[in-house]
Amino acid sequence: MCGGGLKGSKALTPIFQLEHVSVRYGEVAALTDVTFSVHSGECVALIGPSGAGKSTLLSLLNGSLFATDGRVFVLGQDLATLRPEALRRIQRQIGTVYQQFHLVGNLKVVHNVNFGRLGYWSFPKALFSLFRPLEMERALAALQQVGIPEKIHARADQLSGGQQQRVALARVLVQDPLAILADEPISSLDPKRSIDVMDMLRALTMNNTKTLVASVHAVEYVFTHFSRAIGLRGGRLIFDTPVSALSREMVQDLYYNE
Amino acid sequence: MAEIAATRRPTLRLRLLRARWPWGIAFLVALIWALGVAGAFDRNLVNARGFRLFSRFWAAALSPTLDPTFLAVVIDATFQTLSYAVLGIAVSIVIGVVGGLLSAEIGWRAIFPPRRNAPFALYRIPFVIVRAILVIPRAIHEVILGLFLLNIFGLHPLTAILAIGLHFGAVTAKVFSEILDETPQDTFDAIRAAGAPPLSAFFYGLLPRALPNLTAYGFYRFECAIRSSAILGVIGAGGLGYQIYLSLQSINYNELWTLFYALILLSGLTDLWSSLIRRSMGSTGTRLCVDVACGDPTGGEVPRPPVQTGFAFRLRRWSFPLFGVLSLFSLLYVRPDPRILTAPRTQTLFAEFVADLFPPRLDANMLETLLRAAEATLAMSIIAMTIAAIGGMVLAFPAARNIALPGGLGGRGGRAAQAVGIGVLLVTRTLLLVLRAIPASIWALVCLFILYPGIFPGAVALGLYTVGILGRLMSETVENLDERPLRAIKAGGATRSVVFLYGVLPSAIPQFVSYIFYRWEVCIRETVIVGLVGAGGFGRLLAEQQAAFDYRAMAATLIGIMALTFAVDLASNTFRRALNR
Repeated sequence: MCGGGLKGSKALTPIFQLEHVSVRYGEVAALTDVTFSVHSGECVALIGPSGAGKSTLLSLLNGSLFATDGRVFVLGQDLATLRPEALRRIQRQIGTVYQQFHLVGNLKVVHNVNFGRLGYWSFPKALFSLFRPLEMERALAALQQVGIPEKIHARADQLSGGQQQRVALARVLVQDPLAILADEPISSLDPKRSIDVMDMLRALTMNNTKTLVASVHAVEYVFTHFSRAIGLRGGRLIFDTPVSALSREMVQDLYYNE
Repeated sequence: MAEIAATRRPTLRLRLLRARWPWGIAFLVALIWALGVAGAFDRNLVNARGFRLFSRFWAAALSPTLDPTFLAVVIDATFQTLSYAVLGIAVSIVIGVVGGLLSAEIGWRAIFPPRRNAPFALYRIPFVIVRAILVIPRAIHEVILGLFLLNIFGLHPLTAILAIGLHFGAVTAKVFSEILDETPQDTFDAIRAAGAPPLSAFFYGLLPRALPNLTAYGFYRFECAIRSSAILGVIGAGGLGYQIYLSLQSINYNELWTLFYALILLSGLTDLWSSLIRRSMGSTGTRLCVDVACGDPTGGEVPRPPVQTGFAFRLRRWSFPLFGVLSLFSLLYVRPDPRILTAPRTQTLFAEFVADLFPPRLDANMLETLLRAAEATLAMSIIAMTIAAIGGMVLAFPAARNIALPGGLGGRGGRAAQAVGIGVLLVTRTLLLVLRAIPASIWALVCLFILYPGIFPGAVALGLYTVGILGRLMSETVENLDERPLRAIKAGGATRSVVFLYGVLPSAIPQFVSYIFYRWEVCIRETVIVGLVGAGGFGRLLAEQQAAFDYRAMAATLIGIMALTFAVDLASNTFRRALNR
């Protein structure tokens, strides 16, 4: 469950492990010497001002970006050393929810949900499914869980913003990963929809003992929905603490002290 | 500090670069030079004795031949022209999709992901090879391809179909690959980050997003193909163009006009279909930079979401099946026998033809001839574009729905005024349609009634034809203008003329200029069309060389055409960038 990881889990392989990781884009340092690990069942909030390196960090964790220095282990594997096929097998286990949803507007919702299955499908199967959707029950079940089963045949661009984020969540559900990453999942939603989405994300991790790492701008959710908080500023790790030990002053400091 | 000083007092060089007047002077010099080459200053251009024939030609417009035997010929020719265009486009789409997928950077990168820290990206090798293969058919106008294919296939449906298919296919491949590479890749990346194979991610995350643009472009090419099909007819590939040429040669103007009306109707219906589809997709699909890389591929349009209701939407949904039915019909109508491709005779002819082309004759004599042809071609294109630019800009506004129609900028309240608006729109649009539906080579022959032979009638013909195309493109641009600033100016209580001067013109002119330069590049290639009927330049040279069976000289001319085309593309690009700065 979402509560600081399973007892004794420190002995198990961590889901994510970063060792002295730095990322530079040309001259600009996005992350500098970051070290931490995340164990199964933890709910980790990444907080910090814009440009702190939260998105870069999440890209490292799902293998769409590689560290300039240091090593990133996901499920015990050093991503930078894997061949494409092996990398994809690891990436299947990591689901990502994005701020911009990344839906394809002129495809039906069912195809947008099935994005999550593409890691498991061969290319011919994926191509066939575009004409006659496969694994409909799974997609329908996921849409039921996020509350919009009736939209399965709608075009994605006909949905409201909140509904689109639900489709993105359903996509992660059908992917059935060990860990979920969320990059500012609620920053384009209104307060009511934000609570819904955050509740759903937490419910996912609690019911399915999944791991969650999310960057959040709205700090109040850190106290209500997460077990651990990692503070970043200017690409450096400022603090890494259980939420029970997180104080308002620490958050204030993180955002306002240069 | 230095920068601030520089903005306060620009150097002379900077001021010259920013100013518009040097461009105007350069243009005037070029125009005067072109008129000089055309002989405007040292001989009489107008042949007054031809006016009687000329007026007879126009009078025949009112009494087209309507006897049943001839009508049967006209209908048959119309279906032929349509079939060549449809099948040509079908071939070009196959080439375009395959070539486009193969020459899109994103596809290769998906298949051979660049290794981390690798010094050289492997995917660039096949990518560069495919792009290089497509350069040549793109540089050769379909009429020249048609001329060559006529030598091999003779009067066979495949001549026109392959001429259109090969040239349009190569152009389409380039544009498709550009559209694919410009499509936002965020979703593609997101799907891959979830462990999907690159090809699956491509078909789910990228292709569907690119599809509306690809379709819009495909439909734009379809209306171009109808015009090409008619033009190819004039050089002997059959169909309406061929019949028009025959009627013109036998001075039967009443028959000629029946054929004209058929062509105008065919062209008009295709244009209407195409523009409805493209408008409902929220994109004009007329890519400005078809053959050259340039910075602003959308031509500065404001993207609109595709329409989901109404007639245009339903038509769009039925357009793919409709096009399938048309293709099937065309196939059955002209029955292009593909066995001719593998026939021994074709192979012998093709081998002989290729052997005859080499080595291209590039001696000093030939170089001088080529230079003169290049001079004539350039002069012809400058005169033609001057006519086209002025005509296009004048006619674009009355032809635009948001200007002329009620509720538009120029539309007024009263019922009579509204009727005038609709009338103006219809008349201008019909005029533009007639100008572009009739092949430029036919306009050239018509011009020869009242103009002495030479570059000038060719330039006027090409200019008139281009007015039809440019006027339509420009009016679509006007219809796609961002309306928000216009409404803001109107809301301030401005009169119509002020809105026009301060809102419409400033946002339309830069796009017009882009279109003019883009069309100039096309025009250089199209001089061949009028050249073939004797107007001078490279086209005339080709026709003469072909008549003399001098294939090595033809090969040299071809090289000359390509060199001039590339030079003009380069110049046009430079001008466009400089002017848009």
